[in-house]
Amino acid sequence: MNASPAPTKRHWLRHETLLLLVLFAETTYFFYFARNFGTADNIRNIVRHSAEMGLLALAMMPVILTGGIDLSVGSLMGLCAVIFGVLTHDWHWSTLQAVAATLVAGMLAGGFNAALIAFLRLPPLIVTLGTFSLYRGLAEATTQGTKIYRSFDSDFLNLGDQHFFALPIQAWIFAFGALFFWVLVHRTTLGRSFRAIGFSPEGALYAGIPVGHRTALPYMLAGLTAAIAALLFTARLHQARADAGTGYELAAITAVVLGGTSIFGGIGSVHGTLIGIAAIAVLNNGIARVPGVLKAGVGGELASMLTGALLLIALAAPILTRFITRRRAT
Amino acid sequence: MKRSQFIAALLALPLTLLMSCEKSSAPGGADHPKATKKLTIAFLPKSKGNSYFIACEKGAREAVQELGAELLFDGPTNTDPAKQNEIVENWMTLGVDVIAVACENREGIAGPLKRAQEKGIKIVTFDSDTTPDARSFFVNQATPQGIGEALMDEAARLCAEEGEFAIITATLTAANMNEWRKIIEARLAEKYPKMKLLDTKPCDDQKDKAQAETTNLISANPNLKCIMAICSPAVPGAAEAVKQAGKAGIVKVVGLGLPSENRAYLKDGVTQSVILWRVADLGYLTIQAAHAVGTGALDVGSKSIHAGKLGEIQIDGTSIILGKPFIFTKDNVDQFDF
Repeated sequence: MNASPAPTKRHWLRHETLLLLVLFAETTYFFYFARNFGTADNIRNIVRHSAEMGLLALAMMPVILTGGIDLSVGSLMGLCAVIFGVLTHDWHWSTLQAVAATLVAGMLAGGFNAALIAFLRLPPLIVTLGTFSLYRGLAEATTQGTKIYRSFDSDFLNLGDQHFFALPIQAWIFAFGALFFWVLVHRTTLGRSFRAIGFSPEGALYAGIPVGHRTALPYMLAGLTAAIAALLFTARLHQARADAGTGYELAAITAVVLGGTSIFGGIGSVHGTLIGIAAIAVLNNGIARVPGVLKAGVGGELASMLTGALLLIALAAPILTRFITRRRAT
Repeated sequence: MKRSQFIAALLALPLTLLMSCEKSSAPGGADHPKATKKLTIAFLPKSKGNSYFIACEKGAREAVQELGAELLFDGPTNTDPAKQNEIVENWMTLGVDVIAVACENREGIAGPLKRAQEKGIKIVTFDSDTTPDARSFFVNQATPQGIGEALMDEAARLCAEEGEFAIITATLTAANMNEWRKIIEARLAEKYPKMKLLDTKPCDDQKDKAQAETTNLISANPNLKCIMAICSPAVPGAAEAVKQAGKAGIVKVVGLGLPSENRAYLKDGVTQSVILWRVADLGYLTIQAAHAVGTGALDVGSKSIHAGKLGEIQIDGTSIILGKPFIFTKDNVDQFDF
């Protein structure tokens, strides 16, 4: 057994596999301990409540893979929600036109990040920290911080409430997003170039990869995804507000890093991100249903604590396993 | 070998958990609350950390103990309508009997509440209502009539029913405050002919602006006897202006706000009266109503409810009214912590 070839062993100790075990343990625990966790209704809840964060995490993954980061997606959700509200309420556009315009606006806002990062070569952390404040500020200025857009087309609101083949509509949109990003990252030359850029930007340049264009694309996709998330959020909540998506960027980054993508770029997988999203979503929902937690009403607080602990353990785990491996080798 | 043991241990972890909890799950977690007689009431404030809702919770816990029900208390850390919706949807699948909620988003929360009703969960709202079709009853802390009349009567009492006064409001368009102002003016015309309303100034719900407006009013009207602040930031704002003008006790301050925000001014004799309801009683009454709806003792058409220590409480249509507002003064303010 101990003579089995190295690749198999590494496969077992791969981050995704370990995280999958954590997810499995978590789910099993909640299934038996948390009140009504495994019911179909609750599983639908989990999907509906975490679809927006999940979509942002999927879009964040290629950004981080190129060695970048996008702190502005949560704020952009707020801005897109407000844009959609203004277009439907103040400008009286049809829902379809407003949806299309919001998506374009999201992509442009992502493109603004991309332009500063890819072509002016400014550091992504600083650029998106700037647009993090800029986009939220724009959203709040437009609404004076108080205006909330209510009453939308019932067809649009169905996006947030209705089911399609027994699953919430968000589940299908999320599944499509997951497939899109998986194919993009793992099955296209574009995806390979993201990895190459993250691994070594200079190396990628010498390899003939158009680094500027390839770095820009993930930010534009992140902008577009933020717009989609904003629309789903608005439909689910029946209102468009400037504070939509507050803190979502950090939740998305957490899911991506938990899923095994290196914050320095170059390493990571979309399926890892998917497991990361699931681990956080299940934790958020399940922990509040454990009887003791339920009685004390501290589900939200405990979930954020445990997510943080999980992230730190996930980051420390590879170093720990490497330590074990090295000790065995000597 | 060690590594494979490590992996085996990892694999075995969920299995051992699975086995260990199989034994304990029967009496503990997974049993359905409806199987037992104890009613589960879930109580959702606008935000958990707000001292107003902490006082509500206190009253709610008292009522739950008297009634022998199970209370689930949870809410967003900060006012967050998205989180409120999520909590309602999670409670729906948890199998609670009654949900009592102070709604942050009147229309937005109606959808989840209606779906909960379809599942047989009873809904009661308190403090802030949703649309009437999404709940059975609304526990109303005070009617506009009650608030307006209490403010005017208290101002008149402080001025000995004679002299000039001014109002500080949030904005001239705020619907609830405009309703109160109408009632205040009607009460003035009807009962206090020797009093005169000089002016009504907006403060945009900001303490600083309320202070500036009050300073202007004091310097422009030497005979001003009373400031009536009808939005909560305006009460300490007006008091600060009166204090700085050196007119404490000469220009009286009466307002609608939280006692905790005005305690210092009440103690210094700058503010004479702060009007609000007994917030703990609001939580208490909400649980009484939720329990009665849950057991079927209270249904649409009932004219009153017996609410424990509060006695018989009137029901107006589908709204249960807590009663007359309470007046906080320097003598009783220390008994309250919200």
